Amino acid sequence: MEMNDVILRAVNLTKKFGGLVAVDGVSFEITSLGVSSVIGPNGAGKSTLFNLLSGTFLPDSGLVLLDGLDVTRANPEQRLAAGMARSFQITNLFFDLSVVDNLRIASQALESNVNLFLPLNKSRIAIDRADELLDEFELHEARDRLAGALSHGQQRRLEIAVTIATRPKLLLLDEPTQGMSQADTQETAELIKQLGSKITVLLIEHDVDLVMNLSKAVIVMAQGRKLSEGSPAEVRANPLVQAAYFGEELA
Amino acid sequence: MHNPQSKAIRFIELLLLISALILFVIGTALGDTFFLRLATESLIFGGLAMSVDLLLGIVGLLSLGQALYFGFGAYLSALILKEISPSFGLTIVMVAIASIALGWVASFIALRSKGVYFALITFGLAQVAAKVVYNTRSLGASDGMIGVPILRIWTPFGELDAGQPGTFFVITLIIIGVLYLVLKYFLSTPMGSMWHAIRSNEDRLAYVGYKSKGPKQFAFILAVMVAAVSGALYPMLRGFVSPELMFFSVSGNAVVTVVLGGVGTLIGPILGSVLLTSFKSIIATWTSHHHIVIGLIFIVIVISAPKGLAGLLTKYYGKQDSRKGGGDGNE
Repeated sequence: MEMNDVILRAVNLTKKFGGLVAVDGVSFEITSLGVSSVIGPNGAGKSTLFNLLSGTFLPDSGLVLLDGLDVTRANPEQRLAAGMARSFQITNLFFDLSVVDNLRIASQALESNVNLFLPLNKSRIAIDRADELLDEFELHEARDRLAGALSHGQQRRLEIAVTIATRPKLLLLDEPTQGMSQADTQETAELIKQLGSKITVLLIEHDVDLVMNLSKAVIVMAQGRKLSEGSPAEVRANPLVQAAYFGEELA
Repeated sequence: MHNPQSKAIRFIELLLLISALILFVIGTALGDTFFLRLATESLIFGGLAMSVDLLLGIVGLLSLGQALYFGFGAYLSALILKEISPSFGLTIVMVAIASIALGWVASFIALRSKGVYFALITFGLAQVAAKVVYNTRSLGASDGMIGVPILRIWTPFGELDAGQPGTFFVITLIIIGVLYLVLKYFLSTPMGSMWHAIRSNEDRLAYVGYKSKGPKQFAFILAVMVAAVSGALYPMLRGFVSPELMFFSVSGNAVVTVVLGGVGTLIGPILGSVLLTSFKSIIATWTSHHHIVIGLIFIVIVISAPKGLAGLLTKYYGKQDSRKGGGDGNE
């Protein structure tokens, strides 16, 4: 039973850039539902790990298994079809389209019964899904505004909404609260928590407090390696982690 | 749900349709030839501009060689009319089918690249094709082909004489109108949203589960078909075709027309073509340096209205909307 619960498995992932080993033999398992996180100081290899999991980079060795399926070399569309979606650290939207169009385009992609050549207003699936997401992400009042004209916080929320629109099983979030105000960060944290009740979320974060409050499991990286993993309390108590990370952050 | 841009588009549609009807009635009553033929020509080049706009304004691909497909349609039309049968329906259908095949082949070459490289490849393809036609004796080489017969067009209401300037003007209006409506229809479908998404952020599309290749290829083939069918009308109006139709000046002129009329609106380029063609011919009666005058007008418009005439109208409707919105708030 335990084994079936694992949705994402990284096996011995390694990525080198020239002489630099950015990710060095990292293995871990993420269990279904809830929020799990990867943290680590700058240069720990978090972003590279994220890119290996999401398929932006190919690893030099190692495997990425999604629900037991090898997706190490799958392209973004194939990963999405298998149930893995990702957000972007730098907001990456259809900026000169309206909010609702951003959501519709994302919603229609994996619906096999969307006919590409029938008028949009006749295919209710994408429209209903978009309306649902507008509610869920509190973007209703911005519905017809251009994505590029939204506030930073709204754009980050829309970014997550667009990612969720594809109905993934596993959502990879790359520093979703980066550059947000305190209030927006709080709201987004609440949102991520809610997402975690329906799907599995893997968060790559810099903000330790955010991670500790949200996560059921934490993986700490340092210098390309996995330093520690466990519940937030276990990780906090680990002297190695304190030395490598909390020592400098909390001093 | 009517945003300022769709209001601007509706306004231009009505403006063009009403002007066309007035021109047809007055022109026919006065026995005019010059203005009716001028208007017909501007619609034909409007179709070419619309095809450039589909790629540039909707999908975000700058084609600098759309004249190739316009010229292809014109030559094929002239050949069919001269050698096979002077039949309007047959010619339009054959040009449409042949251009879809040509567009399919060309899409594999042109869509290998993006941005400035796409522009250069389309430019290069058109230059090569123009040179080939220019040197092909059986296509009339540098002289082109003359003596395209005047059409008699069969309709359920009797035969029409396309030699009548008013009649051919209306036929052209219908063909260009149908092409416009076809493109407008596709814009209202999920395929249309994908085109907008490709223009907006092509790389992001993969991460919502789409390949951009298919929609781009479809748009490219559609644009080739629109350019070719527009071109097919040219020898019917002028009675000849020449290799100049494929030259860069024609492609470049179409891009200028799109920018002037309003990128991404499809109808703006038709308005742009009507105005540019009329300006050219009016200014040419005052001075032989009409290119200088047109160039100056272009510079002034691009600086004062970077989104073209349709953009100006959109801005006007946007202001009107926000004024109305403010008024409601005060009540």
